[in-house]
Amino acid sequence: MTGESTMVSIYIMGKQYEVPDGVTIMKAMEFAGYRFIRGCGCRGGFCGACGTVYRTPGNFRLKVGLACATMVEAGMHLAQIPFYPANRAAYDLQALAPTLGTLRQHYPEMTRCLGCNQCTRICPQGLPVMDYIAAAQCGDLEKTAHQSFDCIMCGLCASRCPAEIVQYNVGILARRLFGRHIAPPARHLAQRVQDIEAGKFDDELERLMRMGREELQKRYYARDIE
Amino acid sequence: MYTPEMLGLVKTVEQSRERRLKETFPRLTAEEKTNILRSYHPDYMEGSMRPVMVGPNAGDSMPHAHADLLESRSLADVDGLPLDKVDYDVDVLVIGGGGAGTAAALLAAEEGAGVLLATKLRHGDANTMMAEGGIQAADKENDSPAIHYLDAMGGGGFTNIPELVRALVADAPRCIQWLESLGCMFSKDPDGTMNSNHGGGTSRKRMHFAHDYTGAEIMRTLRDEARNRGIRVVEFSPAVELLTDELGQCAGAVLYNLETGQYLIVRAKTAVIATGGSGRLHINDSPTTNHYGATADGLVIAYRAGARLVFLDATQFHPTGVAFPEQIVGQLVTEKVRGLGAQLVNIDGEQFIYPLETRDAVSSAIIRECRERRKGIGVPSGYGVWLDSPMIETIHGKGTIEKELPAMFRQYIRFGINMAELPIIVYPTLHYQNGGILINDKAESGVPNLYVAGEASGGVHGRNRLMGNSLLDIIVFGRRAGKNAAEKAKSVRLGSLTLEHTKRFNEELRQLGLGRRVAPILLPDYRGKISG
Amino acid sequence: MSIPYFPGCTLHVKAKALDDSTRAALAVLGLELSGLPEWTCCGTVFPLARNNYIGMVASARILANAAKQGDGRLVTVCSFCYHVLKRVNHAVRNSDEARTKLNDYLEEDYDGQLRVLHPLELLRDEVGFGALRNRVGAGLKGTRVACYYGCMLSRPAAEMDFGDPEDPAVMEKFVAALGGEPADFSWKTKCCGSYQVLNEQGLVAGRVKDIFQAAAAGGAQVIITSCPLCQYNLEAHSEADNHSRIPVLYFAQLLGIALEIPINKLGLAGRYADPEALLQGARR
Repeated sequence: MTGESTMVSIYIMGKQYEVPDGVTIMKAMEFAGYRFIRGCGCRGGFCGACGTVYRTPGNFRLKVGLACATMVEAGMHLAQIPFYPANRAAYDLQALAPTLGTLRQHYPEMTRCLGCNQCTRICPQGLPVMDYIAAAQCGDLEKTAHQSFDCIMCGLCASRCPAEIVQYNVGILARRLFGRHIAPPARHLAQRVQDIEAGKFDDELERLMRMGREELQKRYYARDIE
Repeated sequence: MYTPEMLGLVKTVEQSRERRLKETFPRLTAEEKTNILRSYHPDYMEGSMRPVMVGPNAGDSMPHAHADLLESRSLADVDGLPLDKVDYDVDVLVIGGGGAGTAAALLAAEEGAGVLLATKLRHGDANTMMAEGGIQAADKENDSPAIHYLDAMGGGGFTNIPELVRALVADAPRCIQWLESLGCMFSKDPDGTMNSNHGGGTSRKRMHFAHDYTGAEIMRTLRDEARNRGIRVVEFSPAVELLTDELGQCAGAVLYNLETGQYLIVRAKTAVIATGGSGRLHINDSPTTNHYGATADGLVIAYRAGARLVFLDATQFHPTGVAFPEQIVGQLVTEKVRGLGAQLVNIDGEQFIYPLETRDAVSSAIIRECRERRKGIGVPSGYGVWLDSPMIETIHGKGTIEKELPAMFRQYIRFGINMAELPIIVYPTLHYQNGGILINDKAESGVPNLYVAGEASGGVHGRNRLMGNSLLDIIVFGRRAGKNAAEKAKSVRLGSLTLEHTKRFNEELRQLGLGRRVAPILLPDYRGKISG
Repeated sequence: MSIPYFPGCTLHVKAKALDDSTRAALAVLGLELSGLPEWTCCGTVFPLARNNYIGMVASARILANAAKQGDGRLVTVCSFCYHVLKRVNHAVRNSDEARTKLNDYLEEDYDGQLRVLHPLELLRDEVGFGALRNRVGAGLKGTRVACYYGCMLSRPAAEMDFGDPEDPAVMEKFVAALGGEPADFSWKTKCCGSYQVLNEQGLVAGRVKDIFQAAAAGGAQVIITSCPLCQYNLEAHSEADNHSRIPVLYFAQLLGIALEIPINKLGLAGRYADPEALLQGARR
């Protein structure tokens, strides 16, 4: 791909490099000679290690993207933000109540939201960050949990917040409170755990374990499929 | 965005869709499956493997990339490294900060052990985070651990180690319940019933999920819990050697601080290797779905300490890696896309394989379709086949993809392809190390006091893992490893720390004329290249 | 008829009774409130400094989102929310500078054309107090009601446009329409102490005492308000200071009683001062 590509200039932390057009920022930085230690994790949009901010010529807006999923643009000035300090509360999930009070007790700063919406603008996942904080502020944990679900905890929201809220930590607290205390538990799961602990499947499993390969294979290809 | 030529080819897919919606492609018989694997699976590709020359597996065939690593000398200067100044003195050292390592750390801490978790990148930068489709557990009424057992054995070509599979399937419901109690947001019905789908090779719908962020949801929950419990974590500090004592027991590890270049000595009564897989070795020059740090470090250091490896000659190629757009070639398209009904289709708009065969078989069929039958779609990196994602919207209703596959939708829409409206192009991509360090059902390796869990271990999946058994594996064996390592630590008496086993290994290499390279490699080197 | 509605954070948790009773009572009168799909806190306090635009951005965005509903109106009931939203709306509509600066921070432009309405205004202008009188039973007949506006609804007059800033009358007309008798109540637009309850308990206690005394002097059997904070301050201090045990209700709860809505839909359970006497009157 490099052979046929045209090259563009990009500026990595102010320093100019020529890189192939049409590649991701991550691959362009490697092409330029970087070997990442920080700022690179899953390389597939899930881990939040490669949050990157950039500006393009003639535009005052600060743009943002994951380096692994954002293409280079000619003339872009970029810097990675591989880490941003964050206030995080420690808690005993089992002992907490899924309430507004719990959220406020652990993250009192969340009520300082000014509504500037910079968090939503910067979110590389395109999540309604301000809205899920607003939902948290009125104790709607379920809405916070669902709206923040696709969060990859890259921390860019927190880097932009004038109220110094760490949105993604509020989000995971709300999600865990929801998952543990609000979402209904799976009864079939509890039942099956009981059955297994009572040894209900031991005989059958042991029979299968002793079975020769041919017999197993016969059974496998004859099994009914839901 | 697709080229005009590709958009022209999409029409063929669209024209055959209505017919295909009613069509079930026949499943492979046992014989057909054997034949297609032998003829097309990369494991059987001429020249892709060689016997390793040294160590416990000397003479066993494995991919060149693995053999190269195992025949490499130490990265650290083992002769000059002082071991008298111990930086961390703990009961249990967990090496690896993914799902298996974090589960192990939590369970070890629960047993009262002093735990240190060392990880190469950040805590949670791991393949667990990227697992999308789901986690298996036989917990519905029409299902049982025995049926799960049979599915897993069949998926592995009946080569799996029975006691490991039994542990996997019997612990599964308990593990899901544990995750549920930690607040994992599984996708559920209003009455609490877990949503479940088929995966390739399952005979019951037992794939539980959290949209298509299943691994991410599990990983961030476990990490959050580890932080709540105050478990000590050192990031950017991979283990580059194990330490042993005079008795040959594992006694800790040497960590290397990637940021400062310093070595750190950890004395530990027991250690858990949970370093994951090896996709970043790019076996057969394949692109990979794996995270940046998947370089088989744990295998290398355990091997030098005498651990035996199994099934390294069985590599899993995920049938549906991204083949286009070029920027994200090799990234994962979750099997859940097929679980929801999308079919694999060739350039003529025809199916050519039952979409939910096991991964080894589907990958082989795609390779055959492109390479031999020449019915693939041309892309800059070679070829691929259609995965007819819009079928999902037809079957389950408009909006299903955005709701059930938000990560997939986002992955494509970032490059201007709306997979709810247009089929996507896929090709097999290097995904999973089926084998690894041999363990028993207590997660013990052959090296005293050394435990292994997750993708670094081998045996549970045989020659081919089923979808949803990897997230399960890391929880089942992560928990077992952590618990057993903590219990064992209570009675361990360590002698003095040595690197004798490494020195012996290096000497053996020297005598064989090997060891020109160093390992573990820690990170792939893409400088000056465009990586796959 | 469905009208865009901004509930506000407090109405989601502490003042759920105000939300419930407002929605229930207006629904009976054919006015359905439909909550905005996305909204944030209004900011609670209108900035004292004229050029503190960042303190108005949240409200401006709420208004802009509400305008997208296409109705031209936005209803809100909490006195604080009403105060802030109405003033920000006024600023956007009337000040070029405010409009320009706020639009710089919004995703889409907003020109201030929305009408921000209090449910009392809806009752007066959409339902009509005459029609309301015909709609309610005789249960509240003769009940003496102190109309407590507090400090948020009517001032500053030029921006709030809620009647005479020191002597508004809409709530009294509302009470009369329900068949009640507005009590003479000299403290009706005085501040209850508001947020000072957080650090000046004594100050609030003193004012609450005066409010109850003034209401009692007017012979009030019930005090009504549309402000969650007034309601909280009055109730929280009523044990000590409300010797006459006058219940403090939201105006919408009184409306609900008059409309004979079941009290479990009005959030009337578990109150400090028992409105039972009032309810008995209503049931009669």
